[in-house]
Amino acid sequence: MGETRLLLKHAEVPGIRHYEAYREHDGYKSVEKAFTMTPEQILEEVKTSGLRGRGGAGFPTGMKWSFLAKPEGVPRHLVVNADESEPGTFKDRYLMEFIPHLLIEGMIVSSYCLGSNASYVYIRGEYAWIAEILEETIAEAKANGWLGKDIKGSGFDCEIYVQRGAGAYICGEETALLESLEGKRGNPRIKPPFPAVKGAWGRPTVVNNVESIAAVVPIINMGGAEYAKIGVGRSTGTKLISACGNINKPGVYEIDMTQTVEEFIYSDEFCGGIANGKRLKACIPGGSSVPILPANLLLTTANGTPRYMNYESLADGGFATGTMMGSGGFIVLDEDQDIIYHTYTLARFYRHESCGQCSPCREGTGWMEKILKRIDEGQGKMSDIDLLWDIQRKIEGNTICPLGDAAAWPVAAAIRHFRDEFEWHVLNPDECLTRNYGLAHYADPLEIKEQA
Amino acid sequence: MTTVQFSEETNKKIQEIMTHYPEGKQKSALIPVLHLAQAESQGWLDIPVMDHVAELLGILPVEVYEVASFYSMFNLNPVGKYVLEVCQTGPCMLRGSDKIMNHIKQKLNIKEGETTPDGLFTLKPAECLGACGYAPMMQLGKTYRENLTIEKVDELLEELKKLA
Repeated sequence: MGETRLLLKHAEVPGIRHYEAYREHDGYKSVEKAFTMTPEQILEEVKTSGLRGRGGAGFPTGMKWSFLAKPEGVPRHLVVNADESEPGTFKDRYLMEFIPHLLIEGMIVSSYCLGSNASYVYIRGEYAWIAEILEETIAEAKANGWLGKDIKGSGFDCEIYVQRGAGAYICGEETALLESLEGKRGNPRIKPPFPAVKGAWGRPTVVNNVESIAAVVPIINMGGAEYAKIGVGRSTGTKLISACGNINKPGVYEIDMTQTVEEFIYSDEFCGGIANGKRLKACIPGGSSVPILPANLLLTTANGTPRYMNYESLADGGFATGTMMGSGGFIVLDEDQDIIYHTYTLARFYRHESCGQCSPCREGTGWMEKILKRIDEGQGKMSDIDLLWDIQRKIEGNTICPLGDAAAWPVAAAIRHFRDEFEWHVLNPDECLTRNYGLAHYADPLEIKEQA
Repeated sequence: MTTVQFSEETNKKIQEIMTHYPEGKQKSALIPVLHLAQAESQGWLDIPVMDHVAELLGILPVEVYEVASFYSMFNLNPVGKYVLEVCQTGPCMLRGSDKIMNHIKQKLNIKEGETTPDGLFTLKPAECLGACGYAPMMQLGKTYRENLTIEKVDELLEELKKLA
C-alpha cells in the first residue's frame, strides 16, 4: 500500500503554490465550513480526530487547545512552530515550500477556534526563501479576503505574521521560541506557567507544529470522526515522514501509519531500499533525538512481531528495545557507517545548540562530544564508555527543557545497542582508523528480500 | 546618536515590522531587524550597527549584543562576500559532507571559519539546516545548494568568482 495523501494531495498540481490553483482544488473550504461552526464545535472536531502534535512530542492537539486560558479582555495568540531543526527532519519545509496556502488555511481555522486575532509563524532563519513564499501567500490570502477584518462577513478578524529566527535549534522548544519571538535569547522558560496560560507577551498562547496546523484543514473538511478512521489505534490520520541517509529515494512521504518499517524502507513507493545495494545497519526513525535501533530491532520488535510506522509500534519495548515516532525524521545508516562517528556528529550538534542555561546540558554535551571524538580517533579507554553512560544519565531529566534529554538519548541508545562497536574501537585503536566495524550481529537476522 | 544610517527601504521595512506586535512590545522586532541590519552592513554586525538598532527599537545596546551573540546567523566579525556554510550533522555526514568540506578547504586553501585573503569566501561548518534528504548541502546567503558533488562545488566556486 502506498501513500495516503491528505496534506500533500494536491502538492504536485502545477501552480498550487498560488491562490488560484489552490482555491480551485478545494482551497479555503475548511474556513468556509468553520465559519458555520462555533469555536467550541471546531475544538470538538479536533479532539475527536485524535490528532497528535506532529513536532515530535505527539501530545494530543485538541487537549493542548482545551488548556488555553481565556481571561476576559486578554488577547490570545496562535504561534506556529516552523523552526524545523531536528536533524533528519525536513517535512515542514516541504509543506510550506510546495503548498503554503494549506498552512495559512489551517492557521485561519485554528485562529478562529482559539480566538487569536494576531497569529505568527516562527520559521527558522535559514529558511529565508520559504519565509518569502509565506509572506507572498499571506498577501494573496489577504487580497482574496481570507485575512484582515471581518473575514468573509464572519465578524472574525485575523492577521498572520511571519517571523524569522536566526539559527538556533533550541528555538524549536516552545518557550524558547516565545522568548525569541519577543526579541530575546532563546533560553527556555521554566514551566509552569505553561504557554497556554502565559505565553507570548504574557498572554495565553498555543504553539503548534506546521504539520499539526495543516492537518486541521482535512479534519474540518472531513470531520474529526472520519479523520480518526485513517491510521491505526491512537495513531490517527496521516504523518509526514522525511526520509534520508543511505536510501535510494530520500524525500517526504505521507503515510497512514499502517505500513511496516520494512515496507517503508524497501518498497519502491517509499525509500526504495538501501542505496548502492548495501545492507541496513541501523536507523533513527524519528529525528536525531530518538533512540537509534540496530536493523534487527528496527524491523521487528523484541517479541519478533513486525514493527510498524506508528507512534505505538515504534515505541514498543520502551527505550530498552524500542524508539519513538518523534518528528518523523527517518535517518537510515547502511553497513559502511561508523556508529561512533555518527553519534559524535550528533553530540557535536547538541553541544553547539545547547543554550547554556543549565549546567548538566551546557557542560555535559561538550564532554560527550570530546569523549566520542577521542574514541572515534582510537584514543579512547574502556572506562570512557562508562563515563559517557554516566554523563548522559546525569543530563537526562535534569534540565529546564528537553534539549538535555534529546542530547542524552542518542548517546545512550548508541551504547545500549552498539557497545561492542565502542569496545572494538578502544581495543583496536589503529585498525579503527582504517576500517569500519561493519554490520556485525546488528543486521536483520531474517533474509532480506531481493529488491527490484 | 549613532552615525550608522540604513537605506530608506530598510527603514520602511523596519517600521512595518514593528506593527506586527502588541503596543509597547517593539523589542520583538529585534531579530528581523538584525537580519536587515546585517544585510546592509557587508554581512556582519559591528558595534555601531548594533547600537543603531538599539536606538531604533528604543532598547539598551546590551539587549542587542546578547541576542546577536546568541544566534548563529549573526556574524560579529567581518566575513567574505560569499559565506559557504557546509552542513556536517549526521544525515549530511552519511552522504559525504566531510568530502565536500575537505575539498573546499583544499580548493580555497583556508580552514573552517577562515576567509580567503581576497575577501571573497568565508567557509563555515554548519549544523543541521533541514535539508537532510538533499544531502550533502550548503547554505549560501538566502539559498541552499543541495545534492552537492565535488564537480558541483567546483562549478559553484567558479560561478561565484566570475560574479564577484
